[in-house]
Amino acid sequence: MLEGRLVRLRAIEPSDRVRAVAWLNDPEVTYYLTERYGRAGSDGGWLSDGPPPAFDDVRLAIETRDGAHVGAVNLHRVQAEDRKAGLGIIIGAKDCWGRGYGRDAIETLLRFAFCEMNLNRVWLTVTAGHERAIACYRRCGFVDEARERDGFYKHGRYWDFIVMGILRRDFDALHANSSKGEGDA
Amino acid sequence: MLEGKITRLRAAELEDLERDLAWVNDPEVTRFLATRYPMSRAEEERWLRDRPTNDFSNGVFFAIETKNERVHIGNTNLMQVHPEERKAAFGIMIGDKDYWSNGYGTDAIVTLLRFGFGEMNLNRVWLHTFDFNERAQACYRKCGFIEEGRLRQHYYGEGRYSDVIVMGVLRDEFDALHGIVPEREAAR
Repeated sequence: MLEGRLVRLRAIEPSDRVRAVAWLNDPEVTYYLTERYGRAGSDGGWLSDGPPPAFDDVRLAIETRDGAHVGAVNLHRVQAEDRKAGLGIIIGAKDCWGRGYGRDAIETLLRFAFCEMNLNRVWLTVTAGHERAIACYRRCGFVDEARERDGFYKHGRYWDFIVMGILRRDFDALHANSSKGEGDA
Repeated sequence: MLEGKITRLRAAELEDLERDLAWVNDPEVTRFLATRYPMSRAEEERWLRDRPTNDFSNGVFFAIETKNERVHIGNTNLMQVHPEERKAAFGIMIGDKDYWSNGYGTDAIVTLLRFGFGEMNLNRVWLHTFDFNERAQACYRKCGFIEEGRLRQHYYGEGRYSDVIVMGVLRDEFDALHGIVPEREAAR
């Protein structure tokens, strides 16, 4: 269990599937996401199914302090040699949007990625136009690194993908008091 | 293929079977290794054939060849690789006794460590060696390993207990001693 300020990140349980499927079938939730085809009731994707968390694939449920399951985060495509990973997040409970849960979940996962998994870089891609998400990632310390032009087709048009990244040293500078361990050269 | 000064490290092949089998059944070789029971051809062949691909999580296992004559003289490996700690355990066997004490082991180890630090991005490599294997310890020291501990009576063989010596080398120490980055990259 990883404790944040507003949320905790816990292992995913099979009982999370019913909510995961509902979120992945909600057009408002998936509007800017690469979810297209809808999901059967048995298919919650990485939000509810897969191997237990390990170095090469960390998937965790996001819970509020009072135990409500509101979303999920993951680190995928973890490269041991490059010490980098991709980050994904979904806040499926729409009544929880705009409350800082996503930011707290990301910062909690980043602290784990840098201080426990010993990663050096975390990156993500986000659909240009998903302004709320982009603003959240920037507040977490991600910087814009690249723009994949017309990288994504949805809702009858092309969208750019923005690649954002945060390095261990960026995170350490932002959280000088709370991040422990070696500052890597 | 990893190029050293006098050795080259290449992937192990099934064609190495007869040499590997002879070495791991040679008491003069195995008295320095943690292998005590005779090894069958079938078992050695299965091991060579089913070995997982060399990569970060499986570790790496290389055959050691002399650079000029391409003689296969032994094997070396990195195992128990931990991504969070960025550390691995190290092992080596120079099975062809004609090539003992001529710097081949040292060159192979430096080449493997350069790969471990410079390509796999490890921070620490450690090993176990028997207290009576002083030739190996001198070689490991030349490569940059330092003695970190002694496990008392941790091994039994030839009718007596022996201490096991734990040695380790850190990335910064190896870089200072042998250099991790090839000169042509460092110049860029």
